[in-house]
Amino acid sequence: MLSTVKGMIQTLSSTWRGLRKPVTKLYPENPTVLQNRFMGFPGLTWDKDIDEPFCTGCMVCIRNCPTQCMTATMKDNPKFADESSKRRKIVDEFEINLNRCILCGICVDVCNFDAIVMTHEHEESGSYRDGSRMKLDGLLEIGGKYQTQSGWKPAPKD
Amino acid sequence: MIASTGPYFQDAISTLISLLTLFSFLAVTVLSLVWLERKALGRLQLRLGPTRTGPFGLLQPIADAVKLVLKEDIVPNEAEKVIFWVAPIIVVISAFMLWVTIPLTPSIVVQNLENMGLFYVGAVGVIGILGLVLAGWGSANKYGVIGGLRAAAQLISYEIPLIMVFVSIAIVTQTFNLVEIVNLQSPVPFILVLPLGFVLFFVSGLAEVGRTPFDIYFAESEIVGGPFVEYSGAHWAVFFLSEYINTFAIATLTVLLFLGGWSGPFLPSIVWLLIKIYAVILLIFWIRGTLPRLRIDQLMAFAWKVMVPLSFYLVVCCSIYVFYGLPWWALTVMSIFGLGVVGVIIYQYITAPARKVAEVRERLRLLQMSQEE
Amino acid sequence: MMQDQQDNQTIDMMLNMGPQHPSTHGVFRMELRIDGEKIIDVKPHIGYLHRGSEKLSEGEQYHQIITLFDRMDYLANFNNELVYCMAVERLLDMEPSKRTEYIRVILCELNRIASHLLYVGTIGLDAGAMTPALFSFIGRDRIQTLFESISGARMMHNYFKIGGLKQEVPDDFVRMVKDIMPVIRRDIDQTEKLLTFNEIFLSRTKDIGVITAEQAIDYGLTGPCLRGSGINYDVRKSEPYSVYQDFDFDVPVGLDGDCWDRHWVRVKEMHESLRIIEQAIDKLPDGDVASPLGRRLIRPSEGEVYVKAENPRGEIGVYLVSDGTDKPYRLKVRPPSFCNLSAIQLLLQNSWVADSVVILGSLDIVLGEVDR
Repeated sequence: MLSTVKGMIQTLSSTWRGLRKPVTKLYPENPTVLQNRFMGFPGLTWDKDIDEPFCTGCMVCIRNCPTQCMTATMKDNPKFADESSKRRKIVDEFEINLNRCILCGICVDVCNFDAIVMTHEHEESGSYRDGSRMKLDGLLEIGGKYQTQSGWKPAPKD
Repeated sequence: MIASTGPYFQDAISTLISLLTLFSFLAVTVLSLVWLERKALGRLQLRLGPTRTGPFGLLQPIADAVKLVLKEDIVPNEAEKVIFWVAPIIVVISAFMLWVTIPLTPSIVVQNLENMGLFYVGAVGVIGILGLVLAGWGSANKYGVIGGLRAAAQLISYEIPLIMVFVSIAIVTQTFNLVEIVNLQSPVPFILVLPLGFVLFFVSGLAEVGRTPFDIYFAESEIVGGPFVEYSGAHWAVFFLSEYINTFAIATLTVLLFLGGWSGPFLPSIVWLLIKIYAVILLIFWIRGTLPRLRIDQLMAFAWKVMVPLSFYLVVCCSIYVFYGLPWWALTVMSIFGLGVVGVIIYQYITAPARKVAEVRERLRLLQMSQEE
Repeated sequence: MMQDQQDNQTIDMMLNMGPQHPSTHGVFRMELRIDGEKIIDVKPHIGYLHRGSEKLSEGEQYHQIITLFDRMDYLANFNNELVYCMAVERLLDMEPSKRTEYIRVILCELNRIASHLLYVGTIGLDAGAMTPALFSFIGRDRIQTLFESISGARMMHNYFKIGGLKQEVPDDFVRMVKDIMPVIRRDIDQTEKLLTFNEIFLSRTKDIGVITAEQAIDYGLTGPCLRGSGINYDVRKSEPYSVYQDFDFDVPVGLDGDCWDRHWVRVKEMHESLRIIEQAIDKLPDGDVASPLGRRLIRPSEGEVYVKAENPRGEIGVYLVSDGTDKPYRLKVRPPSFCNLSAIQLLLQNSWVADSVVILGSLDIVLGEVDR
């Protein structure tokens, strides 16, 4: 009986706490605070010095992806010809099926060019079936957004 | 001929109007209860409760009601169609019929049945059980059958202490008239005269309306809604409605029979009544937010081993009180004595596992001590 | 009519519980044979969540399998990652740095608390109390936010790497861990007041679902289910892995082997985990957490290894066979939930329908791990 009474007092005090300061927050008004390392959907980064993506389409992320959610092709870099860029090849097409992506971050770990990042993007939705397939421009867009938001810098070369 | 039917005709019209008023009053009350429960439980659990619909989510129950009415009303193929349709109606009609004679003030009452009031309440309250059993059986679902049978067992068991409390109050007050009963409480509310009666009435009232810790016949985590498992849409809404009306009725009867009804200083009587009723309802919600659920056998054992003997004891006490013309506090003493004695028994009964736990922990401590040495 | 009167005897009723049932903790199905409200027999059906994790592992490289282990027991991700990483590390015959081990232990113990907090909430829901679930989620949410700030994900972390960690913990890691300790303590206290010693909860769980020590060993129960029956067996103590031998902690043991003892063991384990975390935070050594393997392809030499560890649910074992390629030849998991669930038939016989959900809840199964 005593423990029941204790429980009643506990819930009474929690009601008081709930009336003053409930734990729940209304969602769109108080958006979820994302931690710095939050891993949202992957995005591609943009090399602002040369004005081209970091990605060369080398396929290492695609080979290491546990769910095979990405595809990419590479092409000769036109900027390499006029010597404004050191990249011999550059990404031509890149596609991530965000429905298959499990946000594990392995692609970021294995990338040799710091070309792919886990952005803070996590509220994607689409109304048609192919809407979850994100193409190069979309990936560069969310990657660029992440770059400006978080002040992301490529790792210094050893 | 017309002259002779005139008064009856007028009577019928006025009754109809008051019934309609009652219906709308109860509907509004149910909406307020739904909102209050969701909001109170939310704050109790450090949540917000409904917020999106109107200020403080006040329109949430209306949104719920609209959703429920517009939803498809699914009738299972194997169900007994007639029973399936009739069951909710039986439940809701019994819930409404209860209110015909419950007075909110001496003047606000559909039809004061004078010396039949309390008797009528006790009699009509039982009809709802039939609806629940039929709902469980008619929906051709095993969970429904279990729930319906559980409902029958539980509600009939707890009807006995409830009615015995009515009887003891009738013995003390020498009347079944609810208005009279409230008026007799003007110096001393019956909670002081019959504390045992109050406890009995409140506990069995909780069981009657299936509130935690007695929400056994529709236990969501065990039999997924019991008799209501196959109901959807408007039919389910009707069950929902009757559940809240019954909760409100039990709270109202508690206030009328034990807490002095509408009597109170300064404020108008109806306001006092509503304040008291909502206080009791908040207590019910508070209990719901705290306690786990009993098991069906524990519930039945509690009813037949504790509640029923206690209620008979109360009747005997009241008879002695009336027969010898004792002062009112003598009844309090007897009542508290009974409550104390049985309280100890309940304590022993209910804390047997707790004591075993203490014993086990003591043994464990000794074991650990011996290991350390 | 005549026929009815002649054999006027009751027959048992089959009651199908699950896979769509609020209290079967996922997609678990029980065929109950009941007489009134008494359960006579039960036939469990599993496999609704089978994803073939073990077979999938044979087609994945060693560093990709960590993601599969994340999804096996989805309430104890770090513990699962740890046991897999330990297995591959033993195959490679390498040892991660001390700092790596300490951080791993802290995260695993936090995850154990998070898992047990969820258990406390669900057993409350099974017994009909809705408030403990919401209270215990406050602490669990804080822990998951901490995980998010460390690993970037709230549940599927993929943070432990073979031979190290994915990246160094944030600078204010120690402060963050110390900050959430009082929150967790308060949550445990609240649930103790609301549930553990509540008389109704006691009467619902004490002497319900009793399994004796001998039976528990026969059925291969591990973890809190075994310790609830009074057997002091904890892999962290009996065969210390990682750096558990550095810490001073007790193994709580029940006596009767009923639902309440299993519950109590888990509640006590949360306190012990807090003790371990405190010690580990104090002793946290400096050093490097990056894996010495770097981005190299992991290609262990031929061999096989069996590694076991203590998960929140019991002893998890990983049997890993390597044929010298970059993918394992065979990977077999001994899932604690699956072995604990095997006792369900014994436990449910002659109990009440209402007790079945409590007993199932007290076993604390995760269907992702049962079906793999």
